[in-house]
Formats: sequence, structure tokens, C-alpha cells
Amino acid sequence: MEYSLSTILPIVLLPFFAFVLNSFIVKKFTKTAVTISCLAIFVPFIYALRIFIDFVFNKYSADYYIHKTFTWFDLSSGSQIFKVQMGIYLDNMSAVMLLMVTGVAFLIHLFSTYYMHDDPRYGRFFVYLSLFTSAMLGLVLSDNLFSVFIFWELMGFCSYSLIGFYYEKEGAGNASIKAFMTTRVGDVFFLLGIVALWTTIGSVTYVDIYKAIAENSLNSPVFLFGLGIPIATFAGFCIFMGTIGKSAQFPLQVWLPDAMFGPTPCSALIHAATMVAAGVYLSLRMYPLMDAGGLLEAIAYIGGITAFGAATIALVQTDIKAVLAYSTISQLGYMVLGIGVGAYNASLMHLITHAVFKACLFLSAGSVIHSLHDHHTHTAVQEMPRMGGLRKKLPYTFLAMLFCTLAISGVPLFSAFVSKDRILGDALVMATRSSVYLIPAILGLCGAFLTPFYMFRMMFLTFFGEPRDADLFKHAHHETLSFNRNIPLLILAVFTLGFWYSGSLTGQGIGDKVFPDSKYEWFQVLVEKPVLSKFTSRTTTPLDVPERKEFIESSHYDPERGFASEEEEHEVHHIHQMGAIASIIIALSGIFLAYCMYISKKFSPAWWTTTFSRWTAALRNRYYFDHFYVDVLIQKGLLQLNNFLAWIDMGLYDRYAVDGWSKVLTLFYSMSRWFDNIVVDSILVDGTGISVRFFNIVLRTIQNGKIQFYFLVLLLVLAGYVLGFKPVI
Amino acid sequence: MLLTTIFCLSAFLAVAGALLVTFSKNLIHACVYLLFCLVGVAGLYLTLNAEFLAATQLVVYVGGVVVLLLFAMMLTGGSSLNKVMSRFGLESTPLMGNWRTYLMGGVAAALLIAVLGNVLRNLSMGSSTVTEKSISSVEQIGVKLLTDHILAFEISSVLLLGALVGAAIISRPFRSSESEN
Amino acid sequence: MGIAPYIIVSSILFVCGIVVMIARKNIIGILLGIELILNAAALNFVSFTKFSNSNLDGQVFALFIILVAAAEAAVGLAIVIRFFQIRESIHIDSATQLQS
Repeated sequence: MEYSLSTILPIVLLPFFAFVLNSFIVKKFTKTAVTISCLAIFVPFIYALRIFIDFVFNKYSADYYIHKTFTWFDLSSGSQIFKVQMGIYLDNMSAVMLLMVTGVAFLIHLFSTYYMHDDPRYGRFFVYLSLFTSAMLGLVLSDNLFSVFIFWELMGFCSYSLIGFYYEKEGAGNASIKAFMTTRVGDVFFLLGIVALWTTIGSVTYVDIYKAIAENSLNSPVFLFGLGIPIATFAGFCIFMGTIGKSAQFPLQVWLPDAMFGPTPCSALIHAATMVAAGVYLSLRMYPLMDAGGLLEAIAYIGGITAFGAATIALVQTDIKAVLAYSTISQLGYMVLGIGVGAYNASLMHLITHAVFKACLFLSAGSVIHSLHDHHTHTAVQEMPRMGGLRKKLPYTFLAMLFCTLAISGVPLFSAFVSKDRILGDALVMATRSSVYLIPAILGLCGAFLTPFYMFRMMFLTFFGEPRDADLFKHAHHETLSFNRNIPLLILAVFTLGFWYSGSLTGQGIGDKVFPDSKYEWFQVLVEKPVLSKFTSRTTTPLDVPERKEFIESSHYDPERGFASEEEEHEVHHIHQMGAIASIIIALSGIFLAYCMYISKKFSPAWWTTTFSRWTAALRNRYYFDHFYVDVLIQKGLLQLNNFLAWIDMGLYDRYAVDGWSKVLTLFYSMSRWFDNIVVDSILVDGTGISVRFFNIVLRTIQNGKIQFYFLVLLLVLAGYVLGFKPVI
Repeated sequence: MLLTTIFCLSAFLAVAGALLVTFSKNLIHACVYLLFCLVGVAGLYLTLNAEFLAATQLVVYVGGVVVLLLFAMMLTGGSSLNKVMSRFGLESTPLMGNWRTYLMGGVAAALLIAVLGNVLRNLSMGSSTVTEKSISSVEQIGVKLLTDHILAFEISSVLLLGALVGAAIISRPFRSSESEN
Repeated sequence: MGIAPYIIVSSILFVCGIVVMIARKNIIGILLGIELILNAAALNFVSFTKFSNSNLDGQVFALFIILVAAAEAAVGLAIVIRFFQIRESIHIDSATQLQS
């Protein structure tokens, strides 16, 4: 396949043009605008599919990439080079991400035509969706951190708009502001990291960064508060802070649950395909930097804490979307954990699988919410205690949601079993090698136990049992198969099956291989950690030159690659096998526990909540993070600081600097008034007049028009001449 | 001796006339004293063998210019001369001068005397080359006027004509311009 | 009988003319002084032509002087009369402006 301007750029530009066009026509031609938006994401999907097929079936080696640049602006003058280049970076990872984003986004668009159909701002929603998708695609195709940051912020703005979409609803505005401000904390660090890299390397393209890491040129320390930190550590930390903000990791996870104030399809878009995936994608791209900076342990800890903590919070949520939101945070924690333990491929794989089943879950939740309409308050119902028994009313939704729940729980034959267990297996391997990784691995396993429990709790509460709110149940519409309601769900549900991603059950090339020929392990072949030494001789082509790559037969799946000895390899396989078996047991036991609690009622959930009431309260209050941020950080810290600064501003600056300045000015004023009066007015101005008058008198006396006077002067001069010079006569 | 006597008489007449013109308080009187002075100068011309010049002096000056001056005096106010105020209207200055103007005149005179004395210091008092040629000066003057000085003669005639016309135009009364208005 | 007495007389006439011109405030009086000065000059011409050379040029010059004096007197007195008509005065100091 030929890669040129016309085959790559439409992926980004079509949704963007749809956004521009729709923002003008959406008021008058809402239906047309919606059609344009859907088409503008479907066509990039076709393009992405072409690229993906080319990359997968032509088997380019994992480190093959296409890098096309163009100069954005050039401010170089003389020897000072300041040149900003933009470009497209396309490799296997980008191809996979492109396919995932376009596919999921297209299905979400399709579902939105059903979900938002009766909304008064039906068209505007699609305008935002187009921009959002376009920004995410641009981020995936970017070749440098700078354009990544631009699209990153664009997505921040879109999430702000979409979360606050129902701005008349109480809390929606605050939620959007909260999301914006919380991610902003990470964004500031991200920008700082970009600047640090820019000043060190002089460029922020991936290729240049990899090259610099390979040449060890990022070890020079920067001095912060007297501590010398290598620039790689500093920049890696700052960029990872961006990930923390965007992917809702441990300290900054507070915004994501509030993001459910937006319409459910946009939650699907934010939680699955675009926003949170962007953070993990960035961390994956910058994995060599974080590796060089020695940050992997910290990343693993943050991932483990997030995975476990969010799962515990999800246990007590009653809002169906809140459960899904916390499960998203938890799954993102797994991805970050995967990055931390070096499971690069598995982390990306989990990102893809999670995007598929989480989009499906959110859309299903949207379908559920849409069918339940409270006729007293005229609002859609999201509370699980009022649901129950919906299986009969919503069979297709139930089917899709069941598939996704099985997938997220890590049941064999489903996708998350492949990806999550590879992460957990790598974490266990790392834990056996270094005790530092012990705690993240254990946290990950505990989260793996909690995940099926709270997911099946949600399923049981929603679809099984007796209807708890009979009136609501009676009014719920019976679901019929329609192309924009159920078909997207079912398509996504089909792709939660594990065999799409891996030929083997665990995806680790061990145990029960369904297909003995390893070529079906396409995902592991496709992406691997960037081999830094290959980036030292970089190949960059201008944007408008088409590139044709021949068939490369250099990449075979080799499960033994990367192991030092056969013994070590055997050990790793053994641990992976153990981990797989353990996670199957854990998942099934979690499901069984949920069954016991909510179907057969062997244990009462109420007993747990009363016994551990303090813990329950902590979980209900989300570990008091919001409380801590608002009451402690903002009220106690930031407000005090603000008051102090205001005191400096008003008490010191205004009073002494500004008012004191007025005193100085008064002094200067009186001085200059004196100067003006005495010197300028009296001496210069009046003095000029006086001197003019004086010479006037003198000259008027001489030039008086009296002939006799002239005559006398003439005589005097003549006489003086004759007497003084004695001319010869 | 006759020459000396005539010289003494006419020199006295000229000097005395000039001094009286200078110090006279009355303009009419000054004019009459000028008449004496001019007659004295005419007498001096006689002693210098310039009979024609002496005659011309008498005819033109005494008969023409002085009469003209007298007419002018009479036309310009006569008795009101003493009433003319100064330009600033503060005091009436006698038009014949006061002690201050005479002081200035004296200073000027002293200066001139010094200059003239300086110039004429080496003037020989005696008669160095006295060529007594009693020739008919009138005829010679006439010949000279119409030969050597013919241009100046003609120009002077134009000058006189111009002076005649000019004087007539200048002293013409306002009426013509006023009537135009 | 040399040239000196004539020169002295003409000098006296000249000085007197100057004094009259300076001391008088009457325009006609000043004209009198001018006549005196002219006569002094003419007298000089005539006496030098008698005692230095005898080609009578000095006498011709003296004639022209008389002629010019007559013309001057005529024009000058006309101006005086005109001035008197405008200013009602023949004070020399009232004639300090070129334009009335």
C-alpha cells in the first residue's frame, strides 16, 4: 500500500472538516449534519482498516515506521535554530490505535443517533463528537509531543463541553469544570516535560527522543531545589503526570466519575476510545524515556494502587454509570501497571480490548437508562436499586452486556482474560525477580478478584431478580432490534471474544494452543518495545512524497525471543501458567461470591455494610479524595494562599508600592511644579519676554526713524574712522 | 588791496551769516541771515575770478532758493510753528532747537573740527602757486559746458525738468484722490 | 593771499551747516543747513580750481552744485508742503514712519 498525503491525512481531516461544516449548518440542517458526522467517521474507519490490514498482513517488522514531516514554522536566524516540525508517525501501534479509535467511535456515533435523537441539542452533540474524534486521531498520528499536546488540549476542551452538555442539570457544570481543572494539573506537568525535552534535545519528535535516549544524552542533571535529577527522570515524570491527569490515575482520578454527567455515548467515548486511552498511549510512546529515567517502579505502584482502589470504590456504587466509571479507572490502573512492569505489548492489548468492551458496556448502560423513564420526575433512571429483572425487557442489551462483563471479569475465551492476565503474569514475574514489585502484583491480583464481583453485582442488580420498582418496570419499553440501538452493541460484544486477539487462550504462547501455528499471535508480533539503537539513523520523508515499502519477512513470532537462557524461559512460562490458573480461579470465585450475595442471597450485603460501616462510608465517599481536595487542599491550602497573596497584593503592594508611589509622585510633582514655576515660567518664559522687551527698547531707541539721529551716528562713525585709522588723503 | 578788502568783507559776511543762521531763534530771521551768507559766498567767488559763478549764485540762490524757502515757511503755518507738540505729546519743543539739540550739534561740530583740523593740518597758509590769469571765465565756462561737460549739462536739464514736474505733483492737493473715493 | 582763508571760511560754513542740521527740529530749518553745506562744498571747488589748476572744471562743478541745490530746494519744499498737509506739522520727529 502506498502511503501518501491522500491515504493518511483524511483520517484526521475528515472528522475535523465535519466539525467545521457542522458547526455552521447544525441549527438548520440537523439531520444532514448528523449524517455528515457519521460519514466523516466511517470513511476514516475504512482508511484505518486499509492501513491496519496492510500492516498486519504484510507483516512489517515491529520496528518499522513511516515518519513524514513538514515544517510548521521556522524562526531560525543565523546560527540560532528554532524550527518546529509537524509530521505523521505511523507504525504498527498507530495502525492498531487508529482502527480501534475509528471503529469504536463510529459505533458510538451510530448509537448516538438513537440515544440522542430526542435531545434538543441533538446536532450539537455530533459537532462535539466529530471534534473529539478528530483530536484523538490526530494525537495517534502525531509524530511529536508538541502536536500531541495540542490534540491533548483539544480533547480536554471537548470533554469539558461534553461533560457539561446538560448544563441545565445540577452538577453538570461543576463536573465539567472539575474534569477540566483536574486534567489541567497533569497538563501543566506535561507541558513542563515537553519544554524540558525541547531545551535538551532541540526537538520533541518520538524519533529524536528515542535517538537521544539511545545516545545517553539525557543523563545530564537538572537542578530542582538543589537536587540534581537526570533530565530523563524529570521529563519522564512530568509526562507521566500528564498521563495521570488524562487517564485518571491515583491522585487525580477524581474527575472521571463525575464525567458521567455527560450523555452516555460521550461517556463511552471518553472512557473507552479517546480521552483516557490517550494518556496510556502517551505513556506507551514514552516508555523508553520512563525506562531511562528509572520511573517504572513508581508507575507500577501507581497502577496497582489505582487498579485496586478504584475497584473497591466500585463495590459500593449504586449508579450504573458510576460502577462503570470506577471500573474504567481500575482497568486503566491495570494498563499503567502493565507499563510499570514492562508488559508493553500486553498493556497496549489491554487498552484495545478495554476500549471495545468498555464502549459496549457504556452503550449498554445507555440503552438501559434510556429505556427506564421515570414518569414522575421526567428523568432517566440510573440507580441500580430501582432496576432489576430487565433481562426480559432488554434481551439484546442484556446479551451484549453479559459478554462484556464476562470479558472484563477475565473469564477464559474472552478478551480481557488474554490481556489482563498477560499483565498480571508479567507483574508476577517481576515480583519474583524484585521484591519491589510484590505490592503492585498483589494489588493487581486483589483487583482482579474484585472486578468480576462488582461487575456481576451490577449485572445481577440490573438484569436479574425481581423488578424492585414495579411502576418503572411497567413503563419500560420492550426492546426491538434496531440498527442504531442494538447492532453497535452486538458488534462490540462480538469483538470481546478472545480469539480476535490471540490464538491461544492466555495469549502467552503457553498451555493450550488453539492454533499450533504461532502466526495467529498477531498482536504480539505486531508491537514491541521500541528498539532504541535503530533510531540513531533516522529516516524522514517529506509529507508529500509517497512511500512504498516492500514486503518484509523479518518478523516472525518467536516466543523464546528476549530470554537469556532456557532455564529462565521455563521459569517465566511456569509463572505465567500459575498466574493464568490463579486468575481463572479468582475470577470465578468473584463471580460466585456475587451470585451468592445477589441471586441466592446466601450472604446479605447489608451485613457487610453494617459490619464494616467505616470502610463502607470511606468507599461511598470515594476515600474522601474529593473532600480532601476541596476542603483541605483548596479551602485550607489554596484559599489561605490566595488570602495571603491578596494581602500581599492589597496590603503590601497596593498600600506601599502603589500608594507610596503616589507619595513619591506628589513629591516629584511639587518639585517639578517649583521647577516649572521658577525655572521655566519665570526664567525661561518670562525671561525671554523680558529680554525681548529689553532689546526692543534698545533697538527701538536706535531704530527710531529720526533722521537727525541717523545723521549723527553717521557722523560719529565717519569721524571715528578718520581719526582712528588716519587714512591717506 | 582791493581784493583783500573784498575778501575780508565777503568772508565776514559769509561767516557771520552762517553763524546767525545757526543760532537764530526765528526761522524767518534765519532765512534772511542765509541770504547774507550766500551773498558773502558770492563775494568770495568774485575774489576767485569766478564772476559768472558769483552772478549765478546771486541770481539762483538769492533770487530763487531763498524766496522759495520763504514761501514754504509761509505756506507751512507761520505762527503755529511754536505750538507743535512733540510726538509723544508731553512737551512742546521749539522747532528751532533747545539746549539739548545744540549740545548734540556742538559735539558733532567738535568732532568735525577735529577731523577737519586733522585733515587740514599741513595746509600751507601762504599762497603757493598763484597764477593770476585774468581771462574771461564766462566764455571758457560756456565752451567747457557745451564741450567737455555736455552730458552732465543735458542730464542736469532733465533733472531740472524732473524736479519741476515732481514738485508740482508732490505738492498737489488731495482733491483728485479724494474725489476718486 | 593763499588758499587757506577760503578753506577756513568754507570749513566754518560746513560746520555751521552740520550744526543747523542737527540742532534744528524744523524741516525747513534743516534745508537751510543743507544749503549752507552745499555752499561750503562749492566754495571749496572754486578755490581749489583757482589755486591748484586753472582749467575751470571746479567752476563748472560749482555751477552744477547750484543747479542741484535749486532742484533739491524745489522738490524738498514740495515734500515739506505735502507733509504739512498730511500731518499738520513740519516737526522732523513726526516724520518717523514710512507709511502714514
